[in-house]
Amino acid sequence: MQIQLNHLMPIPLQDKLRQRSSDIWNQDVTFKPGSFVKIKAPSGTGKTTLIHYLYHIRYDYTGKVQVNGQPWQAYSKNEIALIRQQDLGIIFQDLRLFEQLSARENISLKRVMQPKAFYPPEKIDEMAARLNVTHILEQSGKTLSYGERQRIAIIRALVQPFQWLLMDEPFSHLDEENTQRAAALIADECKARNAGFILTDLDNDQHFNYDVHYHL
Amino acid sequence: MRPFFDLLKKIIQTGVGKTRFLMAAVGLGIAMLLILIAIQAHTNFSQLLYSSKNQNETADFLVINKTITNAMMGQSAKSIFTPEEIANIKKQPFVQAFGLVTSSQYKVVIQAPGDLHFATDMFFEAVPDSFLDVKNDDWKWTEGDRTIPIILPNDFLNLYNFGFSLSQDLPQISQETVKALPLQVSISNNIVSDQYMGHIVGFSDRISSFLVPASFMSWANGKYGMATATGTSRVIVKTPDPSNPALVKFLDDNGYTTNQDKLKFSKTRMIVQTIVSVVGFFGLILLFFALLVFSMFIQLVIASCKKEIQLLVILGTAPKQLQRYLLKQFVPLYIIIGILSLLLVAGLQYWAAAELAVHQMHVSSLPGIPVFVGILLVLGLVYIVNLATVRKYVNNI
Repeated sequence: MQIQLNHLMPIPLQDKLRQRSSDIWNQDVTFKPGSFVKIKAPSGTGKTTLIHYLYHIRYDYTGKVQVNGQPWQAYSKNEIALIRQQDLGIIFQDLRLFEQLSARENISLKRVMQPKAFYPPEKIDEMAARLNVTHILEQSGKTLSYGERQRIAIIRALVQPFQWLLMDEPFSHLDEENTQRAAALIADECKARNAGFILTDLDNDQHFNYDVHYHL
Repeated sequence: MRPFFDLLKKIIQTGVGKTRFLMAAVGLGIAMLLILIAIQAHTNFSQLLYSSKNQNETADFLVINKTITNAMMGQSAKSIFTPEEIANIKKQPFVQAFGLVTSSQYKVVIQAPGDLHFATDMFFEAVPDSFLDVKNDDWKWTEGDRTIPIILPNDFLNLYNFGFSLSQDLPQISQETVKALPLQVSISNNIVSDQYMGHIVGFSDRISSFLVPASFMSWANGKYGMATATGTSRVIVKTPDPSNPALVKFLDDNGYTTNQDKLKFSKTRMIVQTIVSVVGFFGLILLFFALLVFSMFIQLVIASCKKEIQLLVILGTAPKQLQRYLLKQFVPLYIIIGILSLLLVAGLQYWAAAELAVHQMHVSSLPGIPVFVGILLVLGLVYIVNLATVRKYVNNI
């Protein structure tokens, strides 16, 4: 799956962004399938906004976000849902778990959303073990700490098939050790699918072997 | 889909306003029952009317004449059907067969033989043979026969036996005796007078007149008839359904009249039809309100889980999946309601069939095909309205 940006500009940030140079805003950018992309940006320059544009849950921009050569707007709601089930994973900065579901159910939701599950249910335990969250799998989403929620959100994104994984500050609530474990798991899962990712963060980091760096 | 729907069940709470939903379901059940009863009552009624089991004859015969009003008295021409009127009666859809009642254009006097001292002025009429309810081998006349077969109305003999003879101290007479009586018939016009033998061959319940074979009538009218041929003032029609309201209306509109007893059923039928229509109408109204409440309930469920549904869609749940899930929460209940109503109607029908059978009225003991079609139509309508509502509100999220 190919993702292309054509002169993408967020309408609310237009004036501010015109005064500085950016590798992404108002440029023509093509993300090469399978590549590990890091986008570094200071706060307030539109990291989350960009991820939301790429995932098509915010639409207040000029220019185009093209998926497989077509702008998002050309797809129907059902087609978009299919892309989100099969081709495009996401880890939100605000995590977005269902509080009324247990951690395991939150993960399962994305595993069983498509008619044919990508991974068997045991895979959830395997990943949870790698991220040290086995003991909280049966707890309700409401009672989890931010760090635990973040790891559940990561596993939730990894139990579905994808060609691109979008990550918005995915390790913001994790300590160094857990970050390493999570990054290793994400890298393994991407390689297993020949998939790429787009990660936004505040600073430089060595969590992955990035193929491309952009400054927002 | 199963495990996914199990998770959706925990996220989308359909429990809000459950009492309202159940009340609407009861409403739907009553509505469905009323509609089905109306349909089944209609089916039963037509079965009673038209099914061969319930009728000795498949058709009925009506003798039609114009109503004699005070204004018409003394002007016999006004009671005669014009050729246009006859053509108009013939072309009515409820007229299966049509015959003219031909009157005699000569004078008839009948005398009983021997010392019975019975003599009366009379008239003859003739109808095509196919309209007669008396079958007798003697019912024929060819030119030269001195004996004329005659059919009397049954009522005539009854009037004599139970009215006249008792008051006059005369003997009552059986049908057989009447048939055996050799009557002297004298037929005359102002010029000639001839004697014939009359022979009663049968008694008619259908036509209240003194009937002779059509062949004799046309011969005698030719021989003894006065110069001016009188027209037809009575016609006989065969109709499959004398209670047909269209027939009654036709007669009323044209000022015709017939044996009212045969039309009596028409009034009953109209009353039953009205009641059935009213029941069906209330069923439809109730159905409409049930649909309204269902739609509002669906709207309420979706609105109360708006945030959850939004997150589900963001995570990649297709609107199609949500629609299917939501419909799955409601549709089984509708199907159960449909089956329950069907069972109830089947039970009622079984009971009604048993009750009616006691009175020699036969209806099927199972609900008819229209009932099944009715159920499918109502369920189809409910499904479509639900689908449209779910689609509308899911897509709006």
